Amino acid sequence: MNSPSSNVQTAASAVPSRVPATRLRSLQTLGIFCGFAAGAWLGGAEAPIKLVNPNISPITVSFVMVLGVFLARWSVPAFIRGTSHVRADVHQAPHLVVWAVLAGCMWAVANTLTIYAIRNVGLSIAFPLWNSNSLLGILWGVLLFNELHYAGWRRWLGVLGGALCMFGGATLLAIASSHQAAPGKATLGIAAALGAGILWGTMYIPYRKAYLTGMNPLSFITFFTVGELVTMSVLAIAYRGATPLWHELASARPVLFWLMLGGFVWVIGDLFQQYATKYVGISRGIPLSNTNQLWGLLWGVLVFHELQGGSRTVYMQVAGGSILMALGAVAIALSSAAEREHSSWQEAADREGQRYNVENEYVRAGMEGRAHGSVSNSRTALDWVLILGTTAMFVALATIARLPTMEIGMTWAVALTVTMLVLMGACGVALWRTTRFR
Amino acid sequence: MSLDRFRKLFRAVATDVHFWIPLCVLAGGLLLLDKLR
Repeated sequence: MNSPSSNVQTAASAVPSRVPATRLRSLQTLGIFCGFAAGAWLGGAEAPIKLVNPNISPITVSFVMVLGVFLARWSVPAFIRGTSHVRADVHQAPHLVVWAVLAGCMWAVANTLTIYAIRNVGLSIAFPLWNSNSLLGILWGVLLFNELHYAGWRRWLGVLGGALCMFGGATLLAIASSHQAAPGKATLGIAAALGAGILWGTMYIPYRKAYLTGMNPLSFITFFTVGELVTMSVLAIAYRGATPLWHELASARPVLFWLMLGGFVWVIGDLFQQYATKYVGISRGIPLSNTNQLWGLLWGVLVFHELQGGSRTVYMQVAGGSILMALGAVAIALSSAAEREHSSWQEAADREGQRYNVENEYVRAGMEGRAHGSVSNSRTALDWVLILGTTAMFVALATIARLPTMEIGMTWAVALTVTMLVLMGACGVALWRTTRFR
Repeated sequence: MSLDRFRKLFRAVATDVHFWIPLCVLAGGLLLLDKLR
């Protein structure tokens, strides 16, 4: 089984981090910034889906979203850096394709489980249960990847206390936002929600594995989505049947754009989440991106007028839950890894490099967010096909899209969209300046 | 990729406990999903 890390380990307390202190600080700050941007975009992804008729099967909704996700996961990397970088990454560390596909399969199963969880126990019970993924992520980070080693009790308290605080906040928000959900088959629903949490929490093992050995998030997501699409296609065909699925897709043409847009927005959020995981680890990256629940709530309350006419208790729960989540996120953001902890991450990276025979300099360059070797930055014909093909597909779907007749707070929708775009722009610039999207 | 490199890669992945943990969790998730149908 896994080779003990002892063969490469030296006491981290005696080995200073090989990353210069100033560089380490900027990478940590960048990772935390990415975590917050991820929360905004992952939460915003819920908005287009709210425009979809609830009569469409959840499996079909999930399937169409994954189609949008697939297109985005290939076209966004092609747009930012070009697919030649993906080829170079795979050449250096081919084992990472296995991790990416495995993570994609896990995501698809977890996402489908959440649909059953909401149906059976309602959002109030389901959401906090699967949001426990951050606690499992912390456990895996500590046990498998030396995260929080030599971190000191203050950082432990910040991360673990922050995650628990966010878990409490998530519970309050979920209770407040689900006053209409009807509980059903409780045991199965709870099992589904816990299953989704365990799958998502464990999915971060492949994430961390990839980033410790230097893979670029833009390369990781291109293979991640293959696992996602294949699993979701198999599930959709097995559960719905090929012909009924086709008919449902054909009849859902007016809303395909909104579903695929939801998938596209989700990919931007996930990309920031990947960078957060890379630079601050899973123990901090996951709780920070779980702030998506706050953003989802903002969209729901301000744009879609949810909770209108709610009781005083509901508003108190929303306020309390939001404050708890924000405090938890701040506690985690202030507990970034110091030099000694980072040196123990490097030991885990050395262990991975040795196991998979990855060039040491490639691993180090990846961890430090700097260039390794020379790869052409120019776009190939394939890149342009991906970018233009995806754009054409979205334009075509937009022309047949219909807005449902529902009350939408357009001013708030514009304000939240602008906020998300500003966050994306600022975080994108920070990523470019600090790492050139590495 | 050469056959030798592929073999080494296969062995490294197959003997890595970090691979089996997510794979077992995935199998459990699929079983659960089947129960929920």
